[in-house]
Amino acid sequence: MTAADLWAIFIGLSFVAYIVLDGYDLGIGVFTLLERDDRRRRAMYELVARAWDGNESWLVLLAVAFWGGLPLAFGIALPALYIPLILMLWSLIFRGFSIELIAQYRGWQRGWGLAFGLGSLVATLCQGAAFGGLVAGVAVRRGAFAGDPFSFLHHGYAVLTALSVLVLYLFAAAAWVYYNSSGDLQAWAARTGRMVTVLLAAATVACWALLQPAGTTTLDPGSARVAVWLPGAVVLASGLFYAYRGFGRHPDAGPVWGALAVYAGGVLVALGLLYPHVVPPTITVHGAASPSGSLTFLLIGVGLSMPGIVAYNSYAYWAFRGKLPSTEEVTPIAPREVVSP
Amino acid sequence: MSQQTLVDLSRWQWAITAGFHITFPSVTVGTSVFLVLCYAAYMRTGREVYLRMFRFWRRIFAVGFGLGVVAGIVLTFEFGLNWGGFAHNVGPILGVIIGMEVVTAFFLEAGFLGLLIYGDGRISQRMMLFSAAMVSLGTLLSVTWILAANSWMQTPAGYTLVNGQFLPHNWVQIIFNPSFGWRILHMLMAVLISASWFVTGISAWYLVRRRHLDVGRRGLSIGLGAAAILLPLQLYLGDGLAFNYVGPYQLTKLEAFEGNWTSTNTGYNVLLWPDQSAAKNDWVITIPWVGSAIAKDWSGKTPTPGLLLTPAPLRPLVLPTFYGFRLMFFGALLMFAAAMIGVVLRLRGRLYTAGWYHKGLVALTPIGILAIIGGWVLAETGRQPWLVYGKLLTANAVSPLDAWQVLASLVLFIAVYLMLLGTYIWYVARVVRDGPEESPIPEPARAPRPPVPSTLAAPPVGGVR
Repeated sequence: MTAADLWAIFIGLSFVAYIVLDGYDLGIGVFTLLERDDRRRRAMYELVARAWDGNESWLVLLAVAFWGGLPLAFGIALPALYIPLILMLWSLIFRGFSIELIAQYRGWQRGWGLAFGLGSLVATLCQGAAFGGLVAGVAVRRGAFAGDPFSFLHHGYAVLTALSVLVLYLFAAAAWVYYNSSGDLQAWAARTGRMVTVLLAAATVACWALLQPAGTTTLDPGSARVAVWLPGAVVLASGLFYAYRGFGRHPDAGPVWGALAVYAGGVLVALGLLYPHVVPPTITVHGAASPSGSLTFLLIGVGLSMPGIVAYNSYAYWAFRGKLPSTEEVTPIAPREVVSP
Repeated sequence: MSQQTLVDLSRWQWAITAGFHITFPSVTVGTSVFLVLCYAAYMRTGREVYLRMFRFWRRIFAVGFGLGVVAGIVLTFEFGLNWGGFAHNVGPILGVIIGMEVVTAFFLEAGFLGLLIYGDGRISQRMMLFSAAMVSLGTLLSVTWILAANSWMQTPAGYTLVNGQFLPHNWVQIIFNPSFGWRILHMLMAVLISASWFVTGISAWYLVRRRHLDVGRRGLSIGLGAAAILLPLQLYLGDGLAFNYVGPYQLTKLEAFEGNWTSTNTGYNVLLWPDQSAAKNDWVITIPWVGSAIAKDWSGKTPTPGLLLTPAPLRPLVLPTFYGFRLMFFGALLMFAAAMIGVVLRLRGRLYTAGWYHKGLVALTPIGILAIIGGWVLAETGRQPWLVYGKLLTANAVSPLDAWQVLASLVLFIAVYLMLLGTYIWYVARVVRDGPEESPIPEPARAPRPPVPSTLAAPPVGGVR
């Protein structure tokens, strides 16, 4: 195992941690746009407000791990994905600001709620578009990006991946809400969750089938790769099935486990199809890697910090454990709606 | 559009996004320390006023912290988005340093932030104090890593250059590069000082309005006390920084921020208007003798070096470098004077009654933040045209983007950030106007579980009047 492989694993783990953690809170953000009931919407805000900052830290870790570990790939991929990534950054800004204001201030809740929901939606779509634009291939010449601003779209493939990631995050969000709620909110999460699970199955097939026709990536699904992507596909499908069954049944954590399996399976499929390419079709992990001296230093830092990170983030989740208060009992928030006895 | 336009637009975008970002740490790093002090005082004395201060300042802290975090994510991505060549060349060094910032500082802050902001009633008092302390420690660590990274770009060390890429050779030399020690102390002082004036100014407003006097007096006393101790230290550090790092390593920066072209001026330039292409000043107001005195020659015979010593293509722009320095330095002198007046008033027992002084303090609320922005304009424009000083030119590090793309994102960044800044100021103003909670407030009991109380369903403290 080379230094480059270790870097790739570290980047991959940051990637998984990010999409698992921020996926559910972006998805909940999109759901708040659809939810008309004030109390249920506030319960959803609460799930996000106490965790978004920690979840987004993984995005920063993903970016810097990518930068520090594969600087050549980072310097090519980001200019290639300029439009979706800049839009994503603006959306994340609006989202983070809005959720803090919703939590800290009573005025203009509707407006901040809308900004939060739209920010979540656009950020999600942009992440999906960026992912599609990357896996479908980036034009490279002399170690730099050589396409035009819209070449990430790949004849619409990026639109498909954008919608698919939206469905994925909605799926994760439904599972998380189902686990954390009770009563009418939980029943709603079960109904929505089943619907989204079916959509996700369809989206996954579409993304897989259209990758080769749309992209510049030459896939070789046979050979040794099948040993990685085929089990991944099985895990993914089982996760979808388990989650579909779990919505509306005990234990409440069922869909969350299903969602984790979907993430794990999906990452295995992507890995099996793309590795060792990091910016297909030209740049591989080994061609883009930093020297091993960088690796050692950061891995020591990560090794020393990670137990602490896991410990105090787990503590934070533990401190906020338990169901949200039943939405039927929550006092409406807008002061003018409070009828004092 | 030309390559130069692309470089200029990319630089403007970086300057504006970085300047916007730095505004928030300038408030929140010091405020987080202040929150720890308030809560520790509350636990030690049991006096409710400290709890009300803690909760009040926490509301101002939370939104600023959130904005700082998301504005910081933008910068991480811009390293690759706009500066792909830079990302490739320095990634093995700076990517790792920023990576260390994330794993040691960001996760620490993020892990405890939720507990600090929403933990009332769910965690014990000791855990709340610990959470506040850990958030504060995280912000301080974050400043430290960022300063290590930026200082390495100012005085690169401990690397080997292979095919244009900087590879790490000695991490101790990389992190403790020649300018790091002075610059980290200077910046830590700066963020604590800027937060002191922020706290002091808002507290003084309550004294002017004669509302919430207990909260206002304590905030004023702590803020001014910190400023009075830190400012003399900061003036000493700034002087040491100029002599131990700028002079020996970046003389060109000194030539630019003192606004001299020829090396004959023994005076000190207060105001000027430079003509960069003609390599002279259109007009200048100079105080004789002081320039030499600053160089520790009291006879008045030592001239300040001028930019003609540096070849024209390697000269930074005088206008932003000179006035960035003036904003920082004159701001510091003003703060020093105000802090010393505070000491005199305190010794004469008139600190809480001198109304004219309180009004002045309200006006000084943002001065520390402005001084920090001035200082960074000086540090960053003064080292141009280099990105890694003496090694990597800014113009060679830019991403090969379409200049229109960068222009569009720049314009929208300006629009978005102006709106956010306006909203943030509006928010702080509203929170301040609403004021801290009235006494008595119920002690947040540890709730039975389940069910746990909703953090958001409860109206935020203070509320709308």
